[in-house]
Amino acid sequence: MSESQPLPSFSPGDGIRGVSDAPAFFDAADILQNSKVSRHSAKSPGILLLADGTRYEGFLFGAEKISKGELVFTTGMCGYQESLTDPSFAGQVLTFTYPLIGNYGIIPGISESSKIHPRGVVCRHQISHPDNRESVGSIHEFLVAHGVPGIEGIDTRSLTRRVREYGTLLCVFGPIEKEIELQRILNELTPPDKDDLVSQVTCTEETLLNEGAKDIEGNNLPRIAVIDCGIKYNILRKLCNRFEVIWCPANSTFEEIMEKWNPSAFFASNGPGDPAHPGLAATARKTLSSAIMNDMPVMGICLGHQLMGLNAGLKTYKLRYGHRGSNQPVMDLESGRIHITSQNHGFAVEDPIKGMLSPHPSGLISNIDEIPIEVDFKVRYVNSNDGTVEGLDLIGRPVFTIQFHPESCPGPHDASPLFDRFQELVSNHLINKSPIIQGGR
Amino acid sequence: MPRRQDINKILILGSGPIRIGQAAEFDFSGSQACRALRDDGFEVVLVNSNPATIQNDPEMADRIYIEPLLPEVVKRIMEMEKPDALLAGMGGQTALNIASALANDGTLEDLNVELIGCNLVSINEAEDRDQFKKTCEEIDLPVCKAIACDSIEEVLDAAEKLGGFPLLIRPAFTLGGLGGGTAFDTGQLVEIASQGILHSAIGQVLIEESILGWQEHEYEVMRDGSDNAIIVCTMENIDPMGVHTGESVVVAPQQTLSDRDHQMLRNASLKLIRRLNIMGGCNVQFAFEQSTGEYRVIEVNPRVSRSSALASKATGYPIARMAALIAVGYSLDELPNPITGEGTTAAFEPTLDYCVVKIPRWPFDKFRTADRQIGTSMKSTGEVMAIGRCFEEALLKAWASLEYGKPHPRPLTMADSSDGEDISERATESIPTAILEDWLRIPTDRRMGAIIESFRRGYSIEDVRDLTGGITRWFLHGFEKIAAIETEIRAAGELGIDPSEIPNDELRSWKGLGFSDLHIADALAGFPVAGFKSLPTDKDENAIRNRRHQLRIHPKYRMVDSCAAEFAAVTPYYYSTYEGGSVDSGIDFVPGLDEKQKQRIVVIGSGPIRIGQGIEFDYGCVHAAGAIQDLGHEAIIINNNPETVSTDFDTSDRLYFDPLSLESVSEILLREKANGILLQFGGQTAINLALPLSNSLPHLSQLGLNLSIEGTTPESIDEASDRERFEEFALRNGLRMPEGATATNPDGVRMAANEIGYPVLIRPSYVLGGRGMEILANYKQLESYMRDAYIAPEKPLLIDKYLGNAIELDVDAVCDGDEVLIGAIMEHLEEAGIHSGDSTCFIPPQNIPEEIISQVEDWTRIIGLKLGIRGCFNIQFAIHDGLLYVLEVNPRGSRTFPFVAKATGIPLARIAARISLGEKLTDLEIPSPQQDAVCVKAPVFPFIKLRGLDPAPGPEMKSTGEVMGSHKRASAAYLKARLATELPVPTEGGVYVTVKDEDKLSMIPLTKKLRSLGFNIFATKGTASVLRDSGDLEVNTCYRIAEGNSPDALDLMRQGEIQLIINTPRSSGGAILDGNMMRRLAVELNIPFVTTVAGAKMEVEAITEARKGLPEPRRLDISSL
Repeated sequence: MSESQPLPSFSPGDGIRGVSDAPAFFDAADILQNSKVSRHSAKSPGILLLADGTRYEGFLFGAEKISKGELVFTTGMCGYQESLTDPSFAGQVLTFTYPLIGNYGIIPGISESSKIHPRGVVCRHQISHPDNRESVGSIHEFLVAHGVPGIEGIDTRSLTRRVREYGTLLCVFGPIEKEIELQRILNELTPPDKDDLVSQVTCTEETLLNEGAKDIEGNNLPRIAVIDCGIKYNILRKLCNRFEVIWCPANSTFEEIMEKWNPSAFFASNGPGDPAHPGLAATARKTLSSAIMNDMPVMGICLGHQLMGLNAGLKTYKLRYGHRGSNQPVMDLESGRIHITSQNHGFAVEDPIKGMLSPHPSGLISNIDEIPIEVDFKVRYVNSNDGTVEGLDLIGRPVFTIQFHPESCPGPHDASPLFDRFQELVSNHLINKSPIIQGGR
Repeated sequence: MPRRQDINKILILGSGPIRIGQAAEFDFSGSQACRALRDDGFEVVLVNSNPATIQNDPEMADRIYIEPLLPEVVKRIMEMEKPDALLAGMGGQTALNIASALANDGTLEDLNVELIGCNLVSINEAEDRDQFKKTCEEIDLPVCKAIACDSIEEVLDAAEKLGGFPLLIRPAFTLGGLGGGTAFDTGQLVEIASQGILHSAIGQVLIEESILGWQEHEYEVMRDGSDNAIIVCTMENIDPMGVHTGESVVVAPQQTLSDRDHQMLRNASLKLIRRLNIMGGCNVQFAFEQSTGEYRVIEVNPRVSRSSALASKATGYPIARMAALIAVGYSLDELPNPITGEGTTAAFEPTLDYCVVKIPRWPFDKFRTADRQIGTSMKSTGEVMAIGRCFEEALLKAWASLEYGKPHPRPLTMADSSDGEDISERATESIPTAILEDWLRIPTDRRMGAIIESFRRGYSIEDVRDLTGGITRWFLHGFEKIAAIETEIRAAGELGIDPSEIPNDELRSWKGLGFSDLHIADALAGFPVAGFKSLPTDKDENAIRNRRHQLRIHPKYRMVDSCAAEFAAVTPYYYSTYEGGSVDSGIDFVPGLDEKQKQRIVVIGSGPIRIGQGIEFDYGCVHAAGAIQDLGHEAIIINNNPETVSTDFDTSDRLYFDPLSLESVSEILLREKANGILLQFGGQTAINLALPLSNSLPHLSQLGLNLSIEGTTPESIDEASDRERFEEFALRNGLRMPEGATATNPDGVRMAANEIGYPVLIRPSYVLGGRGMEILANYKQLESYMRDAYIAPEKPLLIDKYLGNAIELDVDAVCDGDEVLIGAIMEHLEEAGIHSGDSTCFIPPQNIPEEIISQVEDWTRIIGLKLGIRGCFNIQFAIHDGLLYVLEVNPRGSRTFPFVAKATGIPLARIAARISLGEKLTDLEIPSPQQDAVCVKAPVFPFIKLRGLDPAPGPEMKSTGEVMGSHKRASAAYLKARLATELPVPTEGGVYVTVKDEDKLSMIPLTKKLRSLGFNIFATKGTASVLRDSGDLEVNTCYRIAEGNSPDALDLMRQGEIQLIINTPRSSGGAILDGNMMRRLAVELNIPFVTTVAGAKMEVEAITEARKGLPEPRRLDISSL
């Protein structure tokens, strides 16, 4: 397909003071740089089947494959490329509620990982004539290059209402003539939450991204270990500006990391699936609990937040249809201020007082028999739409977690100062100041 | 922050009359603010000079003043009312200027009134160009680069530094940008800059980079006192920089920015609104260069604006309501989200799952001589908005809403290039390439049609992009797609495919892209030269509709819920879409459509604000909806104007934002299973639907719709509107009419004019606002009129005897079949022949004998009862030589309804709606008319905005809006109305008098009066000698302009010698041009002029009154029904 191999273009350590030779990784759009993919030709009729028996007819695009997974929707009006490459969508079929997808094409350097993670894309119109100075291809070409199928011409609004009313559900789509086969696949489909999704998206080896990174005064930046449960590239970019970052697979244990790298702090990333899954999510959870018990600063985002919620003795549960989009209002209970945030999650941490808000009809709740670590915490952030927990502060410790995405991409940058908060926590901790998180709600 | 407890009474300022650039959007924002604040327990005092607004209705405000919007008037009202706070951010620039004047002179402090909702420091910082640039630079936001230069050497140096042409040259300190311009090369630069340096008072020019051709983006921002800030809506203009955003075709949300680019502009917007410390709503405009990713901050509107009205309607987020509540202390997170209801708050960002297109509505269909070029100043009077699930659908729906006479794009012919009506014989000639390319190159109202035409002719996207100076390719693809589908349909037609044979898949796909039934029918027939109205019945719109209904293709109705269906919303606000998909999920959400025992009554709105159809009709629709609800029914509004109160989602039980075409109205009626429809309130737009709709009733009833057209029957409407039928009616009932005739061909017109005798009044039938109406003095003028006019059997011309020097009367009334209620009789100041919409009128009449008044009342009763009116009607009478004549009857709500309601206290629109729905006048407790004051309505004209338009009223309507003044004394009421038009009323200085011969003698007493008031009189020779010889007056003579000698009137005006012009225009001879040039200059210098003797008399009375001081404000003491 491609004439010559493109060069990997994601190098978060590149250009940082003191770094000479930063490693590079593939950005999902790199594959389009030197390639020619056949343009989207004749419309071939497709069908989307839902587990509740509903069927939607449309037209197929992208890779010629059958798609199956959990149907979710995102309400962001732009940022489709970032969403498609967000590893948290692993196992899911992604519906865009905005009806025109692909307007500005695919742009190198803005992907959130090296590949497309949803198992399929559902939209109203995919645009085959993108218009942007940096575009290297259309969404169709992007999907073909990554072997992911799409279906357009779907009444995505009624689909969204169905998901809103009945909760996320399993689905399958493919050529209309294969409807019987598709139905059989759907009948046999198991929820992707049961899979060890983290193991499918975590990195394979530990890498130091910006060795020798220095601050403005020439001092070495503190070193942190990032537990990758499906991390978005922009988190790595944000962290590399503030720390020397070791990018670690989710199966690394606390002891291994400490012994090999001796970081001063830990970071737990976003990722797909059920936080209470016994696979790599559990391994990561243990790593984080050890870090906390060793009085280390820890920040968690999204799945990372949920893992620490579990560590703190809270239950996690599946939300009815989750929060996916760029306009989720979150209130900081300390300042009373609202941040408009970027979100992508299907599970949540229960509220210690109000319990489990907006639960999924399946009633999926974490069931972990380990004894939680002894920590005191407070709910710091809540979603002002449905009241669900959006972030925890661990009282007396340099640890906080947030459900939303301060790295945005896509989405607003309102919450980006939270990386500064973490940086401050780490540096205060290193000069033996008392942790700045105080008690009280 | 919680609601402030230290404020109870709030004075809200409106924006005054509807003008180009400041239209109904402020009625919408003001009304939302009134509703929000009153719901929250505040007492609201409202001041506005415009009687046609909903905001100054007793339902909206506690205490109402219809008074001139002048600082001294508002000050006096504040002394009387003692409000705690002044809310000025809802009334546009007018209100802000008053607030700022009252703050600066210490009035607010003296009266202990707090200015809420806006901060004058930030307003100044946002509006002072230099200060604004500095502010942006301080916070690292890029603004247009500019370098100040004192010499040509410096200019050349600057050009190099700025890196390339074009460059803008702005001279420092000159009046009106004299000596400035755009240079495309060094030669031009040197030329313009030398001129500029010469003209500048300090010998300096500013050389600025040009951002012509860059994309234009807008961000609507809300911020509260706790510093929560959100983006309500993003918008992207199709027209690149260089065209005012109000004049641009605008799309929401923005389509072509990546998340990275969008967040960059979002961050800049938030940074700016925080730095300027703006609370409430504001709007930030950016220029963005797609090829480099660079941007510039253009400007900030530190208040709600037309853009925020559009953003509110595009998203469902009520910006003005929230801004008002923020002004009284609330923060966004304390305010419930009115869209999703319980539990969620207003602190969120709307997300859309549809595409919105706004198109401005220009008045060039009426003002054929006006310069059509659009640019940095506004010329449009209104706008339409449409919503679709793709760009093409939204664009075509918006197009269908414009009501320019072409509901869909058609191939361009020479008929389109005539400045006016179709010229049928030229419709066969295709438009030449040179003209087409001019239309692409120079932005006018014709550009969109030209873009589609260019794609029909095979131009490439790149060609069109270059010719249009940089329209974003993504949008051009949409236009190209429309042209391609059109070709596909034409090809099907050429293959002989009949409407009844259109395949299902094709029809669905065409409908999904926004093609109306009519558009498809027209394309299938190959766009016949004779127009879409000429399609035979087996190939017309109904034939397509029949096929569509046979295939069960109906639109779906989607909710505008601000959250893309993520939450269950409660806003009853919908749009239609024909998007495909196999699930017939239909309407999103109707609260118990079937269970409720309520009747569902549809009100047809009036579409975009245009000359002749203004906000008055929106007022009528809002009241009609209220009346329907009063009777316990459900009110459903269909309209497409984003600026209005009728399209606020809490005005009706359900709102449909759709074109007002037969197709879209019929589909809504079907979906709603509507019981009734009211057509009397949406102006001519709604009346024009009466016949087609009544013809469709059999088809609709086959589909199960049992609809009644409420009120006056289409049959009676036709009898009133059809000239010949009405003449017979008048004859039968002993009503006198001016002699007249109807002609359907040029010879008929000539014969009729000869028979009747000149002067004649000539006009096309069935139009609103007097389009193409002229007074013709002789056959020469008749021939010249007919060269431009389009006459055909379906478009006859009416020829009437012109009643010179007649007094015109307007009557608004309601008839229930048994009884007639006369709302008011209005006497026009100007003689018959000046369009009634443009005349100044009085309630009660001032100079009409008792017996004529009672004859008017009798005739009104006869007309109401015998014509079978059920609901409202309006009659125009003339009194000529002591005899009463009926000029015309309009079987619908009129432009003067709101004025009558506010002058008399009789809520005529509401009464009419209830009568239409079957109530009797005796059932209603109708307030007795107020009689303590004389009320005057005066028009406001758009002359300053529209070059090429003769600034003199005539039989064609030209005004955009109106004001009202009321007082015990007629002269004081008139003075108030005059002041409210915002033209100065001079109390000293010079008056220039030049009148036609027959008016010269009547000038003598007037000029005497002016002399006694100390005015200098200037006149041309003829007028001067009459005044001197017969009036013994001291008069300064000056030259006629045509004489080419100094001083002439223009010189005197420029020298500031003249503060008032009395000029009655002659309809022939060299004086025409003289008068035209003089009035044009008067408009530019803001010198008032009067063009009738009656007007001159009142003007002198107003001057006399003004010298006594400001008349006391009068509180309106009216109640709701």
